[in-house]
Amino acid sequence: MAVTSKYFGSEKAHEEHHEEEHDPREQLMFDPLPRGVMNDMVMESMYATSWKFWVVLGILAFLVATCFFYAWGYMIAEGLHVAGVMRPSYWGVFLVNTVFWIGISHAGTFISAILRVFKAEFRRPFTRAAELMTTFGLIQAGASIFMHLGRVWLAYWMFPIPNERQLWPNFHSPLMWDLLAITTYVLGSTMYLFLPLIPDLAMARDRSTGWRKTFYRILALGFRGTEGEWRHLTTAMNIFAFAIIPVMFSVHTIVSWDFAMAMRPGWSSTVFGPYFVLGALHSGMGAVAIVLFIMRYTMKHMDYFIRKEHFDALGKLMMIVSFAYAYFFFNDYIVQWYGGDAATDNLLHWLEAGPMAWMFFQMVGFNIVLPFLTLWNKRVRTTPWLLALIGLLINVGMYWERYIIVPVMLTINRMPFTWRLYEPRIEVFLTIGTFSMFLLFYMIASRLIPLIPVWEVQEGQMTHSLRKVGKTHVPTISEFE
Amino acid sequence: MSLQVDLNRVGAKGALAEEADGKWGMVIDQDICTGCQACVAACAMENNLPFVMEEDAGYGRSLHWIRIERFWEGEYPEVKATSFQPMLCQQCGSAPCEPVCPVFASVHSEAQQLNLQVYNRCIGTRYCANNCPYQVRQFNWRDYALLPFHANEAEGGELVFPLHNQFNPDVTVRRRGVMEKCTFCIQRIHSAGDKAKSEGRPVEDGEFTTACAQACPTNAITFGLLDDHESLVSQLAQRQTGYKHLGELNTQPRITYLQGEKGA
Amino acid sequence: MSDTTLLALFEDIDPAANGIEKLHEMGVPDDRISVISGVPLNPRMLGRPHPWTNVGRLALGGAVIGFFVGLFLNFGTPLLYPVSVGGQYITPIPPGLIIIFEMTMLFALLSTFLGVFLESYFPNYRPMEYVPQVSDGKIGIFFRVPQDEQQKFTEALNQMGAESVEPHEARQL
Repeated sequence: MAVTSKYFGSEKAHEEHHEEEHDPREQLMFDPLPRGVMNDMVMESMYATSWKFWVVLGILAFLVATCFFYAWGYMIAEGLHVAGVMRPSYWGVFLVNTVFWIGISHAGTFISAILRVFKAEFRRPFTRAAELMTTFGLIQAGASIFMHLGRVWLAYWMFPIPNERQLWPNFHSPLMWDLLAITTYVLGSTMYLFLPLIPDLAMARDRSTGWRKTFYRILALGFRGTEGEWRHLTTAMNIFAFAIIPVMFSVHTIVSWDFAMAMRPGWSSTVFGPYFVLGALHSGMGAVAIVLFIMRYTMKHMDYFIRKEHFDALGKLMMIVSFAYAYFFFNDYIVQWYGGDAATDNLLHWLEAGPMAWMFFQMVGFNIVLPFLTLWNKRVRTTPWLLALIGLLINVGMYWERYIIVPVMLTINRMPFTWRLYEPRIEVFLTIGTFSMFLLFYMIASRLIPLIPVWEVQEGQMTHSLRKVGKTHVPTISEFE
Repeated sequence: MSLQVDLNRVGAKGALAEEADGKWGMVIDQDICTGCQACVAACAMENNLPFVMEEDAGYGRSLHWIRIERFWEGEYPEVKATSFQPMLCQQCGSAPCEPVCPVFASVHSEAQQLNLQVYNRCIGTRYCANNCPYQVRQFNWRDYALLPFHANEAEGGELVFPLHNQFNPDVTVRRRGVMEKCTFCIQRIHSAGDKAKSEGRPVEDGEFTTACAQACPTNAITFGLLDDHESLVSQLAQRQTGYKHLGELNTQPRITYLQGEKGA
Repeated sequence: MSDTTLLALFEDIDPAANGIEKLHEMGVPDDRISVISGVPLNPRMLGRPHPWTNVGRLALGGAVIGFFVGLFLNFGTPLLYPVSVGGQYITPIPPGLIIIFEMTMLFALLSTFLGVFLESYFPNYRPMEYVPQVSDGKIGIFFRVPQDEQQKFTEALNQMGAESVEPHEARQL
């Protein structure tokens, strides 16, 4: 007995939907090219540099020289008074930058580790681009931490090395936990960047000449692709993928404890750990969207590797992370608002009605309202420039969030006689310097190392096939392990 | 140095409970403080505090180890002044500034039961200042003692700093990048202790006092041995009008403030 | 009667697996065959024995070392030079958990990474048996046979679908 089903909506709309049945070759995994051709494309994307590339590189190099090195050197020589920090905001934009850059670095690990563990195939072309963001972001975070020290030339006293004074650092201090955690994370993610890079360096070694060949030959360590080498490499990559996930969560939790362990109104919140981790993922995913957009539109052949499906998947991830972030944000503020003591009440009033209220509401708007309103829509997610713009605004919102937490919350403390608004001075230049250095490193890396892990893309293409089931061909993924 | 633990005294954090009163303490009578700032000046002279000049002081960078806080109540024209509030390092028994220093520059003295700041160990992370609920820690944002403004030009174009002649030889001069705060004039504590040791007796209350207590014209500040129950400071601390600032934070401060009627 | 190394290049997995089967039939044992490829292939797909790796065990060893380093840093150093801070216990446990976790992970990751180097004898810049076509996706099979049987093997593997079967010398990579 047949039941005729009625289509919801008009017949015409339904027919249009049917015609939209996608050609599987739109997806990278179902559109294989010979490996040799893909290798050529990746190598060419490294060699092809237009005059625009060199102009941007020159500008960034100039900014790094002036706003990073010269400004920092000037600050070391003159003292921290050239910065804007004072009582009560002893920590200003330096810590904001540190937290921001560590946040950016979390997206890299999320994509290359968590997506690998969950076997999300769409990660394959951009794991290395994301992991590069991690390494370079952590360098900037480290620089920002060292910038804020009063006597940076004595920073080595924080390292637990035996010395003739027989002094050890203070492991009660969250800053020491920070040191250990960030060291672990930066070493771990650099190693995790390098391991899957080795086979691609071998490929580059085979296809280049001159100084490039020497460079790739040394870095490729003599990799040949024997069964033993692949086995050691894939075992290590699996261990890294599983192990670096708890490290990633612990790093930003520990960074959040720099604030949560202090007895300041607004800071002493027990939800800071997961709140910061989700915030990091939020800003990091947005940054990945920006990087992928720039890669796709400025580098040759990247439109083969980075397709709308990747932006779609990234957009869905951004949406989910924004939900989780909104949950922790709400958790933090409603608890303070509901049962707050006098000091916390003062703080919340200052945040919503004080001189920095515009920042507070922009933060809420960009971090929560914007993703909610836009990312549910597939057309928005599959428009790369739009996703990149949303990612940029999310990053602006997240930067404001850290600014609110560090200098603004420090202003409203328990001693009203000391309240005074923070004005960033040389920190503005130093911030520009860190951003320029990040972009500079990334641009240089894009021409020195293959940004697409071609062996992983080919591996993925080999495991994807179309299987005939009934009347249609169904995308099928096999497991080769 | 072996660590002996008396389990009867171990607290929630595993901490060794100190006598809540501690050894050296202070009582500040807000009812008779006139806000003249003589204590501020005396402290600056005694402890080699540099002058940071107007712009920096206005921007929250004043290097005063004691400050007089002034408030008012009400809306204009019915404005009423409240008591003056001298605020200095409370030498907390359970100091929040101590555990957060990554290099042990802010530590607790078991002997004197004070909070110590080790200038030559400080690398300037300023976490201690952020964690101090009283905001009494000061940072050397630049080499204020070497500000060209304070200098005269001698023959040969060399800069001469006449203010350096008034430095107290018992106290160091801190350079930039280092935290500092009130030490209860520990140089005076040590010299009184040395003198007493050479005479073979413990330090007595009233033998010496801190610079701020010494300068106060109304004797609003009283300093002395809190664990000597005969001393003036411990008797004043027992007064009914006594309270501890931010006592609910359990920092166990060593300074008791006396305030009778509000705004008196 | 000296041995020579031959290299058979295959385009795809199926012909390569057939080629290896043929080599086994013709009496070449597994330890005289080595396979290089541009993507990690499951050795069972080619009919080869499973290669051994110690990387996991090295990682575990590193984790144990890291655990003791963390123990020393948190519980050892305060006993070496005790300093009293903020009314907290000299050797506190909650920060200890953090330190121990981070050091365990750090040494585990470091030893995994160094384990790859150790196990694969990286870096290795001596002349080795290799062809660049492998990074273009081809599968290369090296096998050692007596010199006078070279012709026999060449024909057999060409029949199995090899792109080329040539004698091979170790070369600088």
